[in-house]
Amino acid sequence: MLTLKNISKYYQVGGSKNFVLNNIDLDVEEGEFVSIMGPSGSGKSTLLNIIGMLDQPSEGYHYFMGEGVHLLKEKQRTALYKQYIGFVFQAYHLIDELTVYENIETPLIYQNIKGGERKALVADILDRFNIVGKKDLFPSQLSGGQQQLVGIARALISKPRLILADEPTGNLNSKQGEEIMELFRKLNQEDNVTIIQVTHNEKNAEYGSRIINLLDGKIESIKNI
Amino acid sequence: MLSTHLKIATRNLRRNFTFSVINIAGLALGIGIFLLIAEYVSFEWGFNRFASNYKNIYRASFFNGKEEKGDYYLPPGYAAALKEKLPAIEAYTRIGENLGGGVAVVHQQKADAGQAYREGNVSFVDGNFLQFFGWKLKEGNGVLNAAQTAAISASTAKKYFGLNPAVGKIIEIKNQFGSTLYTITGVYEDVPAQSDIKADVLLSFKTLENPAFRNGNDWADPVKLESGYTYNFFQIRPGTDQAAFAKLATQVTRQILPDAKGLKVELQPLKDIHLAPSFNYHFQTYGSLIYVVSFLAIAILITVIAWLNYINLSTVQALSRAKESGVRKVLGATRSQIIIQFLTETVVLTVISLLISVAFVTLVQPYFNTFLEKPLSLKLLFDNWICAGVCLVVIAGCLFSGIYVATILSAFSPLKTIRGVANLKLGGVSIRKVLVVFQFTASVILIITTITLYRQLRYMQTQDLGLSLKQKVVITGPSVINSSGIDQSVAFENRVKQLPFVGKIAASNNVPGQGYNFSAQGITKLAPAAGDEKKSYSMLIVDNQYFDTYDIKFKEGRAFTPAMLIHGWPKTRKVILNESAAKQLGFANAEQALGQKINWGKEFEVVGVIKDYHHLSLHQFIQPMIFLPAVADGYFTIKMSAADMQQHINQIKKIYEELFPGEPFTFSFLDEVFDKQYRTEQKMGSIFMSAAGIAVFIAAMGLFGLAAFTAKQKVKEIGIRKVLGANVLHIVQLISADFIKLVLVSIVIASPIAWFAMNKWLQQFAYRTGMSWWIFVAGGSLAVTIATLTVMVQSLRAASANPVKSLRNE
Ligand SMILES: Nc1ncnc2c1ncn2[C@@H]1O[C@H](COP(=O)(O)OP(=O)(O)O)[C@@H](O)[C@H]1O
Ligand SMILES: [Mg+2]
Repeated sequence: MLTLKNISKYYQVGGSKNFVLNNIDLDVEEGEFVSIMGPSGSGKSTLLNIIGMLDQPSEGYHYFMGEGVHLLKEKQRTALYKQYIGFVFQAYHLIDELTVYENIETPLIYQNIKGGERKALVADILDRFNIVGKKDLFPSQLSGGQQQLVGIARALISKPRLILADEPTGNLNSKQGEEIMELFRKLNQEDNVTIIQVTHNEKNAEYGSRIINLLDGKIESIKNI
Repeated sequence: MLSTHLKIATRNLRRNFTFSVINIAGLALGIGIFLLIAEYVSFEWGFNRFASNYKNIYRASFFNGKEEKGDYYLPPGYAAALKEKLPAIEAYTRIGENLGGGVAVVHQQKADAGQAYREGNVSFVDGNFLQFFGWKLKEGNGVLNAAQTAAISASTAKKYFGLNPAVGKIIEIKNQFGSTLYTITGVYEDVPAQSDIKADVLLSFKTLENPAFRNGNDWADPVKLESGYTYNFFQIRPGTDQAAFAKLATQVTRQILPDAKGLKVELQPLKDIHLAPSFNYHFQTYGSLIYVVSFLAIAILITVIAWLNYINLSTVQALSRAKESGVRKVLGATRSQIIIQFLTETVVLTVISLLISVAFVTLVQPYFNTFLEKPLSLKLLFDNWICAGVCLVVIAGCLFSGIYVATILSAFSPLKTIRGVANLKLGGVSIRKVLVVFQFTASVILIITTITLYRQLRYMQTQDLGLSLKQKVVITGPSVINSSGIDQSVAFENRVKQLPFVGKIAASNNVPGQGYNFSAQGITKLAPAAGDEKKSYSMLIVDNQYFDTYDIKFKEGRAFTPAMLIHGWPKTRKVILNESAAKQLGFANAEQALGQKINWGKEFEVVGVIKDYHHLSLHQFIQPMIFLPAVADGYFTIKMSAADMQQHINQIKKIYEELFPGEPFTFSFLDEVFDKQYRTEQKMGSIFMSAAGIAVFIAAMGLFGLAAFTAKQKVKEIGIRKVLGANVLHIVQLISADFIKLVLVSIVIASPIAWFAMNKWLQQFAYRTGMSWWIFVAGGSLAVTIATLTVMVQSLRAASANPVKSLRNE
């Protein structure tokens, strides 16, 4: 599904290059569930953002669904990730001004899906996540776990083939975290959604089929489960 | 999509309530002022355009090539003679404007004594007048071809006859042409407000062809080509080349008129006689382009300030909107979609402001109209191009500021947003500073302008005029002068003088603050210097009491004697000069002039020289004046004690009505008459004061919002500083210092601009104050004070917050 080749990311500090990612090679197949681990500042988020095309590498080649991402213009990149990728964040990043329903609906609007169809899709996912009763509430009226549920529902609404989750359980207690992980596993196994998650939690990491350990911008080890 | 945008826009406006209120209030006020002024501009622009063929109507005037000003009073016989020679003239009409002013006596029954009305707006016109200018008829046909026919306006008809028909009725008009009976042929709807030609009563020119109806005023013979006193309007065949026609008219005119050698005929389009199409327009106009333009400038300035407020407050909110913008991008929104989203908010806000501004206009319209003395309404906006102009300004303002704000709000990269809002920095700080500086520069200019205007006004009103205006009542003399007139006037003066509360009484044919009687040239010393005969003098006809009553001081000699009055100036040939006149005549000083003879056709003796006094406003220099003796009866000036004015005036009224039966009694207070000359400055003062107030208010609202935001942004810093021991003053300084600096910069920019503009404006006054440094200090201090108070409210609130709370929140 995606291939990273010799991917580096650095910032110019004074005269020298400060590497955040250093020569990363990575292949992820469709249907995989990958967990990325590593100490704080090791470059996990940067790697995830590059995969999600929110950030560009300083060097290297990036292929996604057979396209050379490093060759694309910004518009084309946007179109590509809009079609295939859903994001889940540690801080949820729901839009405070919108209700649960509207938050979930927003990506559909940007994909120019008609009102009637949007309604059906949102209703469907609200039902599936058991949050129908919360649909008119604003994010501030929800608990952290509920907010993350909405965040995931929003990421899933446009039926992405890849979900990128940056510490999705970081702000949740262990029980809430487990529920989210169960949800990811179900999505991965039943719907064949590819998942790449960043986590600090060993137990949550083991939901994945492969654990990648980052250290100082380099892949230190890969563990298949 | 749109409905979603709308829903979110209104929700956001509600959520950021304070900001929305400030934004909407500022915009509504700005747009409201703009609409009011647009009404005024539309009104002024739309003058004289109601006649269906107004585009083919021109007013003729003579230019002699030398003088800047043309002559608009043409000889009455001219128009007919010209039409005969020039077939391109389809029709013409003449107006002897206010020529027939006097008293109208209306009899309901043949035998009754009749009711008298003083009518100033009585003009002599040609038979086709009503139809020519498109005045609407209400009753009768209004044709004034025959002698002794008249047409009156609807409200005049109502005043005279109530609800009874007016056509066919006979009214008696007493004026300089004696007493004449007129048959009413028509009643016209009251003249539209947007007409420079106005009349309550129209009399037929034909009447004056009969010497019996001229009372010896043979200059007014309407077929003569000598003295010019009529406005001439010509309707030219459509498609005629105007310039070529004027050239032809000039040629023909030189044949028609005896001494028209260097004269040039010029044609001024009817639509341009109100508002000049450009600043260097050399024709006479009734409206004031400079007024309209400065009004418009103020309106645009205020609207711009309001929009800048919007831009400032909205971009400053950007930080709280950054996350929304970034997340939307991650969810797949393109930048233009986000721009449209934010633009929708601007449009919603504008529409709300527009609605409120319309309500505001409706509310203040009556006051605005009273102030301007004009019947303005929102309807006027739809009369002409103004409508498009207003839409353009509102739409352009909305789009420009909306797109600017949206561009800033949509510029955040999603990556940064995701990394955390705390790390975000808002760009474009310098732009916001520039906007604040612009707002306050405009405000300070308006403040300084207002101060200067009022200072000049006060200066003019408090200067020593060289005469006393206090406690003087001016009574208009009788309108009909007949052989017994002189006796009646003397009798009136004697009777009034007996009244215990009357100090002095004088008669003159015009009064200070209103004007002279006429101006004359060709007055010289017996041994004149070259060019002396070209110098002009302002002549005033007065009695012997005039100088004493007005407290005008004599430099040499003394007032006229009663004998000089009785014989009148043409016979006694005595004059009194003011110092300027003595000087202009070439006398070294007043003493030298006394007892000397001067030549004005015949020899006149100088029996006195008075100290210069301001006969008219301080707009103009003191003119060389020559006083002529006569038993005057144009105006009686009575100096009386201040107590019981109303009752005393009633006593005088009784005497007046007894001695001048049928003459309506009208009076005014001299100081008010004199003060009327400063109405323009008073109005300008009020306008600029309001404009300055509104501009400062809107700008201060913006500052209030900015300070609120700064305080919010610095909550954590303030908390830490307080924990570290900062006191309230430190915190206030922390927030206010930047803003106050901006206002100081504004003052530095505004001062030279205001200085330049005001210096220029003051040039038009013959007597004027200068600009002095304290005006700038005062104006600047005012701005700084307002800004400080505004910011202070916010900073005090921030400073008094509990630091533990604000730190924990973070
Ligand atoms: N704009 C930037 N300039 C310089 N260094 C940066 C910038 N953005 C991120 N970094 C650095 O990149 C490193 C990796 O960050 P990140 O990928 O967020 O790590 P992780 O998610 O593993 O904690 C950090 O050390 C951070 O300081
Ligand atoms: Mg991270």
